[in-house]
Amino acid sequence: MTKENTVLHHLKLLWLFLRISVQNDAAYRVDFLANVFVTLAHFGAELVGLWTIFSNTRSLGGWNAMEVLALLGVFRAMSGIIGLFISPNMRLIMEEIREGTLDFAILKPINTQFFTSFRRIVVWRLADVVLGGVFITVACTQLSAAVSAAQLILFLVMLVAGVVIIYAFWLVLATCAFWFTRINNIEMVFWNVFEAGRYPVDIYRPVIQRVLTYLIPLAFITTYPAATLVGKIEPGNVAVALAAATGALVLASAFWKYGLRSYSGASA
Amino acid sequence: MRAVLRALPALFRLALAEMFQYRGEMVLWAVWGVVYPSVAMAMWGVAVKGSPGGEAIGGYTPGDFAAYFWLTMVVGHATTAWDIHEMSWLIRSGRMSARLLRPLLPIWHSVADNLAYKILTLTILVPLWLLVIVVAQPSFQTGRFELLVGIPVLVLAAVLHYLWGYNLALLAFWFTRMDAIGQFWFGAGLFLGGRLAPLTIMPEPVQRIASALPFKWVIWFPAEALAGWLKPGAVYSGMVNQLIWIVLGLVVFHVMWRLSIRRYSAVGA
Repeated sequence: MTKENTVLHHLKLLWLFLRISVQNDAAYRVDFLANVFVTLAHFGAELVGLWTIFSNTRSLGGWNAMEVLALLGVFRAMSGIIGLFISPNMRLIMEEIREGTLDFAILKPINTQFFTSFRRIVVWRLADVVLGGVFITVACTQLSAAVSAAQLILFLVMLVAGVVIIYAFWLVLATCAFWFTRINNIEMVFWNVFEAGRYPVDIYRPVIQRVLTYLIPLAFITTYPAATLVGKIEPGNVAVALAAATGALVLASAFWKYGLRSYSGASA
Repeated sequence: MRAVLRALPALFRLALAEMFQYRGEMVLWAVWGVVYPSVAMAMWGVAVKGSPGGEAIGGYTPGDFAAYFWLTMVVGHATTAWDIHEMSWLIRSGRMSARLLRPLLPIWHSVADNLAYKILTLTILVPLWLLVIVVAQPSFQTGRFELLVGIPVLVLAAVLHYLWGYNLALLAFWFTRMDAIGQFWFGAGLFLGGRLAPLTIMPEPVQRIASALPFKWVIWFPAEALAGWLKPGAVYSGMVNQLIWIVLGLVVFHVMWRLSIRRYSAVGA
């Protein structure tokens, strides 16, 4: 076992990536504050939206106001995590494939997938994660049935599964850039469709529900974790989520390696 | 004005050719305009079932919601304006300098782009819109009066939205980062314009803020008017409101434009 393969070594590298990102961002402190301010405004807007909906109705496809608040918290935290490292790194990969500068990343003496997936960390996006956490916490204290420790652990497991699935989904998109070089707009498409995840997938027609679960895995990312927390999840779906997360990661990594082989570099 | 009329067709042809080159990107932009209202449509349709009574919310049945949000798709497309997102790029990339050299206000160039986009994307949007009608089964009460008056209402809404969007975009001459302003513009359309919900079912304070701003005349009013839910008197007074905001916008544009180019020559030197 060489040093390069230990978990500890990779954790140290992660810490290094984080430090470099913080140092880079420290040069734009006003930007940082402006971004946090915009995030706060977003959360205010979410609350107005929630207020509008639940001043007119008592339930949204079987979800009450506090349950939808928990879902919104998950939705926001997830978009924070995607913006924290997934989308910026994948954007970088697509850019570098287009410009042929991915060579520099490949030449580094560490696993290319690890390096290209974590090298850029957009620190201010943590604000989304924290505020999402606040939404989730408030919702939990207001739910009619108390949340048990087991539920909480299962919720965290489902969250991790959701992050893994969305990471795999993005990795596949980024890998497509090896063949279709101009797909940077795919990010915009993603965020548009992601909007559909702010409400439980139960509100959509069965066909669309299936699309949002298996084709664009929104259900795994927002609805299922939130459903676990508020005690609405079907046990079968937990198993499906875990299997989907494992399968997605394995397949996406294999696809990435396959794509990497067809990369010809800038000079070619 | 004669010069503008002569130049516009040429600019328009140029814009069409340019847009066609970026057709992929355009399709994506246009499709957002279908996704968001569809989500809102589904959400409110389900919300009705959970409301007291379970038949309607604020007078809107699921069919009415479908009609309203379908119309926000069409109205939203007709009133699209993205200069806020483009202006700082135009300035930083130096393209603004080229446009300023032409014997025509640069806003006409952007108007041509805007019209080319709206017309070209119709080719994808119309089939999508028809599909939504088939699936969602909206209940329209649109009569001959609404169809007749709907066209000027739509045109006024598009002009009003475009003008104020451009006015805000001019702030790019002062600020390099327009993200926050763009977000505000976008959020205002959702909450104060009526994309999230018909304004009459929004919370009271939101309604009051919306009445003081132009956004409700861009989305909510045209959608309600086209659906056939407004009396003729309300339609006419709405059009007067649109006109007032347009005149105000023109005044602000003239002032802002002068200040902007003065600012630009100072920076670009």
